Amino acid sequence: MKLAVLCSRVRVEEKVILKALQERDLQYDRLDERKLVLCLQNGQLSHEYDAIWCRAISHTRALYALSVLEAWGSKVVNSHSVVRTCGDKVLTTMALIREGVPTPRTVVALSADAALTAIEGLGYPVVLKPVVGSWGRLLSRVNDRETAEAVVAHKDALGGPLHRIFYIQEYVDKPSRDIRTMVVGDEVVYGMYRRSEHWITNTARGGEALPCQVTDELRDLSLEAARAVGGGILAVDILETPDGGLLVNEVNDTPEFHGAMQAVDVDIPGKMIDYILKQV
Amino acid sequence: MRLGVLCSRVRVEEKLIFKALQDRGVEGDRIDANSITLGLSGSLDGYDAVLVRCLSHSRALYASKLLGDNGTRTINDHAVIATCGDKLLTSVALAKRGVPTPRTKVAFTAPAALDVIEEMGYPVVLKPLNGSWGRLLAKINDRDAAETILEHKHTLGGYHHSIFYIQEYIEKPGRDIRSFVVGGVVRAAIYRHSSHWITNTARGGQATDCPITPEIAQISSVAAEAVGGGVVAVDLVETADGRLLVLEVNHTPEFRNSIEPTGVDIAGLIVDYAVEVADMESER
Repeated sequence: MKLAVLCSRVRVEEKVILKALQERDLQYDRLDERKLVLCLQNGQLSHEYDAIWCRAISHTRALYALSVLEAWGSKVVNSHSVVRTCGDKVLTTMALIREGVPTPRTVVALSADAALTAIEGLGYPVVLKPVVGSWGRLLSRVNDRETAEAVVAHKDALGGPLHRIFYIQEYVDKPSRDIRTMVVGDEVVYGMYRRSEHWITNTARGGEALPCQVTDELRDLSLEAARAVGGGILAVDILETPDGGLLVNEVNDTPEFHGAMQAVDVDIPGKMIDYILKQV
Repeated sequence: MRLGVLCSRVRVEEKLIFKALQDRGVEGDRIDANSITLGLSGSLDGYDAVLVRCLSHSRALYASKLLGDNGTRTINDHAVIATCGDKLLTSVALAKRGVPTPRTKVAFTAPAALDVIEEMGYPVVLKPLNGSWGRLLAKINDRDAAETILEHKHTLGGYHHSIFYIQEYIEKPGRDIRSFVVGGVVRAAIYRHSSHWITNTARGGQATDCPITPEIAQISSVAAEAVGGGVVAVDLVETADGRLLVLEVNHTPEFRNSIEPTGVDIAGLIVDYAVEVADMESER
């Protein structure tokens, strides 16, 4: 059994993952996706490894590396289709809705003008999110028309076709925290709160990780959400509504978990490695 | 005497300028900014002056520099274009001459800009240092808006989006004023009416004639002089307590919507002024 771990920058997560692989005496190579030259004709890498674990930070790189590797028959974690779905908020939301997973009301507009109409239709406050992006970057909470006009104009000016796809979501008035659960295969390995006075709760933005008990409701919802996007190693972001409901906000395909390492007592890389070994 | 008109797209304004040249029997050529090439020294012989009517600020900026340095007078001259094309340089020029303007601060990073905004109090207006037609102006009403607009500006990157120009928002009476100053004299003024806080006629603001009061004449001519004179349009805002503040000064003003309400032949005035400048040059 030989494993490849695809990653460029070694973050805290990759450090503990590589350390866990060493401790288990597993054969693996660390491959920097920035240096890969993927031959489309011969699928060389795919023949060398039994499984490829993608921990690339760049969504676009991950997506294209996996598309080639998977096509040549590699067992890749997560699968190309999961990464594709989770990396794009429109695709994630559609996958959730298709499987009946509760998620905030969302509309998509394909031009700046239509975006303003859509925002006014949804009613303030709304949240605008880049369809591709992480760490809470370029999220906008829009409380009035003047802000809507300015944000839409700036997104339009950012250039790049993806910034002109406007993903507009009702703002959910959550209790100064949201919930992130980690799903590995059929198991919810932990839950945590991300506490923040700011409406953006990402730990990368200063959100504080605290343990959160995985209730049956939370477990079922997390597994449903993970299944909806195709399953694998996934972090599910969940919002508590004022009336006590739970909504799935997003699902992350290459989750960071340095916050959880402090907050919960679970062998996170161990669970992930067990899952990958089971796949091959 | 021969006049050049440097422009790329011929808008209504340039058409009117060419017509005014014809009417006056002035020899004038269109110099196409799309195909012109300029050396660093000695170029564009045969013109006593060049009227710069480029749509693009950067073209106007560099063409006027090269022409001016090589002895061809431009209208406006490079210094006026450089100052008016940059809101920060305009504000500084106005402040130095004691021209009343809204409170303005500059920050060089998004966190510093956020501090300035919070200190100034909401609402504030963020403006790109260069840009026209009200493009990417942002009225910021709360902290949520400030955070996200600053992040977007930071992501936009580039030279002029990473200097944060922050101005107090002036509550105006559903209109502002634009005055046209040619050679130091205010020749026409319009109100720009709009229910939107951005009143540019390019954005739907409606132009009506604005009587040139002594106050408007005074502040406009001082503002024009502060940026170096020439042909400029001065944007003024009336405060709730009846004062006038200068918002910006434009170096290549559009004026198609100002002719009818004011009855002033703005193109003719610009051409007369350019001819006057060119005559002075040819006599030197």
